[in-house]
Amino acid sequence: MKSNYIYFILIIFLIGATPGEAADSVWWKLPSLPQPENYGNILIDRTSSNSGMKPVGFSHWSHRVNYTCRVCHFELEINMMLNTTEITEEQNRYGRYCGACHNGKIAFAHTKENCEKCHNGDITYGKEKFGTLSDLPPAKNGNGVDWVEALNSNKINPANYVLEETRLLKFEREVVIESPWAGISPVPFPHKIHGQWLDCSNCHPDIFQIKYESTSDLAMEAILNYEFCGVCHGRVSFPPNDNCKKCHTKMKSPGKIDSSGH
Amino acid sequence: MKKTSLLLMVILVIILSVVLSVTTSHGARKKRPPHHEYGNVVINNFSEKNKIAPVVFNHWLHRSQYTCRLCHADLKFALKVNGSGITETANKKGLYCGACHNGKEAFGPVEKVRSGKKSRKNCDLCHSYGKKVAFKNKFYPFTKELPRARFGNGVNWIKAEKEGQLKLKDTIKGYSTDKIRKDSPSDSIIQPDVTEMPRIIFSHDNHAVWNGCSLCHPGLFREEKGVPKITMEGIIDGKFCGTCHGKVAFPVLDCQRCHTKPAILRR
Repeated sequence: MKSNYIYFILIIFLIGATPGEAADSVWWKLPSLPQPENYGNILIDRTSSNSGMKPVGFSHWSHRVNYTCRVCHFELEINMMLNTTEITEEQNRYGRYCGACHNGKIAFAHTKENCEKCHNGDITYGKEKFGTLSDLPPAKNGNGVDWVEALNSNKINPANYVLEETRLLKFEREVVIESPWAGISPVPFPHKIHGQWLDCSNCHPDIFQIKYESTSDLAMEAILNYEFCGVCHGRVSFPPNDNCKKCHTKMKSPGKIDSSGH
Repeated sequence: MKKTSLLLMVILVIILSVVLSVTTSHGARKKRPPHHEYGNVVINNFSEKNKIAPVVFNHWLHRSQYTCRLCHADLKFALKVNGSGITETANKKGLYCGACHNGKEAFGPVEKVRSGKKSRKNCDLCHSYGKKVAFKNKFYPFTKELPRARFGNGVNWIKAEKEGQLKLKDTIKGYSTDKIRKDSPSDSIIQPDVTEMPRIIFSHDNHAVWNGCSLCHPGLFREEKGVPKITMEGIIDGKFCGTCHGKVAFPVLDCQRCHTKPAILRR
């Protein structure tokens, strides 16, 4: 009898100690946000360092002023997960990936004098130009810019394609995502706003299933762990640190959360 | 006895929880092949059993010269990888790959070297999986002049054929019949279940140039409209349109390429 009890404790302990569970057990850990001029900046280093080049310092804000997300993440097939796209020098030179624009026609070319403009190993590269965004509508977090408002008020006019002229698919249904917790208001998901920046396939079917209510495991913990909405919200688009009400629109209290994670 | 069964349970729980924590990769995007690998298939019916590297077949090079129909109808290649059971004997008798890879239409298994009486074995040119082979045609230089498109091979194959940059061979003597239907029915408009989704315009013309009739009818689609019922989930799973779109033809990521006709909305 006694040994049974010990085994029971052991099983409970082991379930609790598996790696997948451990990551989820820290609740409401909000993303730690960098300085506004560094938000959305990444260092791309899939093979650069191994090939004796510095990693590529890429800033989302400098690109999204002129191009919507769909240009790079849809048309040019650059994955959203860092370092998972097999970008090579050869492909760039044949007009794939970065090379679709960085060819000397649309943007500076992939030539020797320009190496340092991308392969600089500096995540803050180009910060001196951040001041040019000061005219755009302000926001609390992220880049300090309300990008959606900037687009809707025509402060910026980002292009939707660089390869092929395309009439965007119009789908504006507002899908209501119910919260599993009582008292937390549902999220009316605006397809319209997302469709201004993104293509359907940026989210469907890999991140969200196409059929209503068929996406499993969608939970706030997962979002804060950079899954689902968190693929973008927390890294490049407005972070969940802002205000719960931005998505959970009918929440009664504004959801006081401080960025230290409590 | 009781102790051992409990121990077994503990071990099972450990294994299960580890497996679960590894396999729950949800909410993130899947990896897609780069342009030069799109449409490449590894054929391994008997290769590894016979201790030879599997075949890496590239659709992009073959479709730059031949229609889909030629191989998938006249030469009886299945639309599914490893679905044809190709053997060396069959190839040598002039079936499947052997219909062209005979030293006349395309390189054969053994080739005579011009100088002298020596011959060269070409095994590696097809059985190339896991090997470094210096191919004559390299993807990026080869497709450089062809019209660009997003996705797949990054090549607009339809446009390339229409504008005459590709001259596709549709028949091969001794294998094809002369009675191939050349006309195609008019476009059909398909209404999606979700009313806000733009409607689909299906172009028989664009498809028939490459596929004829028999690649789709009646195997994938019956001739009556709406039979069987097409679903987007099925397509994503590789059925219906997904038999080709997502594997060799442009992938179904590109919603607006098919859903082109604005939806009729009644409010």
